[in-house]
Amino acid sequence: MRIKNHPILDFARDREITFYYNGQEIAAYPGETIASALHAAGIRKLSTSSKHHRPRGFFCAIGNCSSCFMVVDGEPNVKTCVVEVEEGMVVEEQEGRGDLSEKM
Amino acid sequence: MKNSAKVVVIGGGVVGLAVAYNLARLGVKDVVVLERAYLGSGATSRCGAGIRQQWGTEMNCKLAKKSMDIFEEMNEMLEVKRDIELKQKGYLLLAFSDKEMEQFRKNLEVQSKFDIPSREVTPEEAKEIVPHLNLEGIVGGAFCPTDGHANPFLVTEAYAKAAKRLGVEIYTYTEALDIEKKNDKITAVLTDKGKIKTDKVVNTAGGYSQQIGEMVDLELPVKSERHEILVTEKVAPLQGPMVMSFSYNIYCQQTPEGPFLMGYGDPNEPESYNINASWHFLEEMTKKATRLLPPLKHIRVVRQWAGLYNITPDRQPIIAEAEEVPGFYMAIGFSGHGFMIAPMTGVILAEMIADEELSMDLKLDLGRFERGDLILEPSVV
Repeated sequence: MRIKNHPILDFARDREITFYYNGQEIAAYPGETIASALHAAGIRKLSTSSKHHRPRGFFCAIGNCSSCFMVVDGEPNVKTCVVEVEEGMVVEEQEGRGDLSEKM
Repeated sequence: MKNSAKVVVIGGGVVGLAVAYNLARLGVKDVVVLERAYLGSGATSRCGAGIRQQWGTEMNCKLAKKSMDIFEEMNEMLEVKRDIELKQKGYLLLAFSDKEMEQFRKNLEVQSKFDIPSREVTPEEAKEIVPHLNLEGIVGGAFCPTDGHANPFLVTEAYAKAAKRLGVEIYTYTEALDIEKKNDKITAVLTDKGKIKTDKVVNTAGGYSQQIGEMVDLELPVKSERHEILVTEKVAPLQGPMVMSFSYNIYCQQTPEGPFLMGYGDPNEPESYNINASWHFLEEMTKKATRLLPPLKHIRVVRQWAGLYNITPDRQPIIAEAEEVPGFYMAIGFSGHGFMIAPMTGVILAEMIADEELSMDLKLDLGRFERGDLILEPSVV
């Protein structure tokens, strides 16, 4: 689901890029955020809550709420609703609090 | 509001509430706590939430050890519904010079007298305890495995609720304006909501304790100074102990919920009541922290704030009755470590007020500053 005609904005969708969500190939357009590209691909669950591990999805869409935190190219706690998707990006669902043990 | 009380405690932070709870526990009826904002709104809720027993003076060591003993039993003692989040993963103190290491060794000797299980560690051992530590410049350290963290908000709430159950009246948003005296004896506390007759007042006003002193014409040897802190977003458990250095000037811990909490003491900070957050702190702090603990550069800062240290010339608190003003008690000048020694402070000061035998001998009177009888606490950030 993507907006095709918008009264103010133009969407340049002449070039498609590919990124990975939990190992699965996903198509996106440059300029889209990771979360919006996932949303367009029908993916609703982005992370889980830290205590009860309940599903968390696209929520505030402006980088405030922490609901869309995902692991992007090994970096945890990435606000996928405000970070633009890039060719070949490896995006993974985040389980609860971000894990930095790989960074030590 | 009551118009008379046996004891009026001015300051509803953790210390004031611990004093009030212990007074009630000892059977003192009619205890009132005055708090001009909400409970813990001063230094208590702004503090670094650490509990350290590794001190350099006998008094600080004793108070800290006995307070930790109380923290360990606190959930049961205060019948806490929500756990106080005590975490005992230690404090790792780092030395950056041989001279600093010498001081640590002296401190360790004092600590061992009071059964504080601290020990010297080599840089390699420090790295085993905190694997993401950058060892550059570190010559050694000290580690006490039973030091740690508790949640200041929950501890404050626990003391307040326990005190209330025992009949203590707590008046928030009620400010003490003046203390009335007659023939050098305290007769009443004047508040913005009315007068409370009493002959015993306890000053636990933290960063504003000198202002309460002025109400009984006492010039207290304490000054207030802003100290800043920041907190990061939550991450999975990464760092067990609090990492601290006096010379590198930092403390940094990960609280049980997951965020990192850190601060340092600005040597150029003037005496003031300023509690605004600064850009300067944010820049300095993040540089310091990521240099010493590199993985922290992957975590975002979510908030920063400041609170007041109430500092004495020897960095030890004043826990005593003022000789010049009978009935005027104080637990002030904690110099940045009030939260961690609040439990035992509450016990001792309540015993003093209730005229009971003291469960610990204490030499933290006001007169020591005039006598010049100071033992300087060397280990303060």
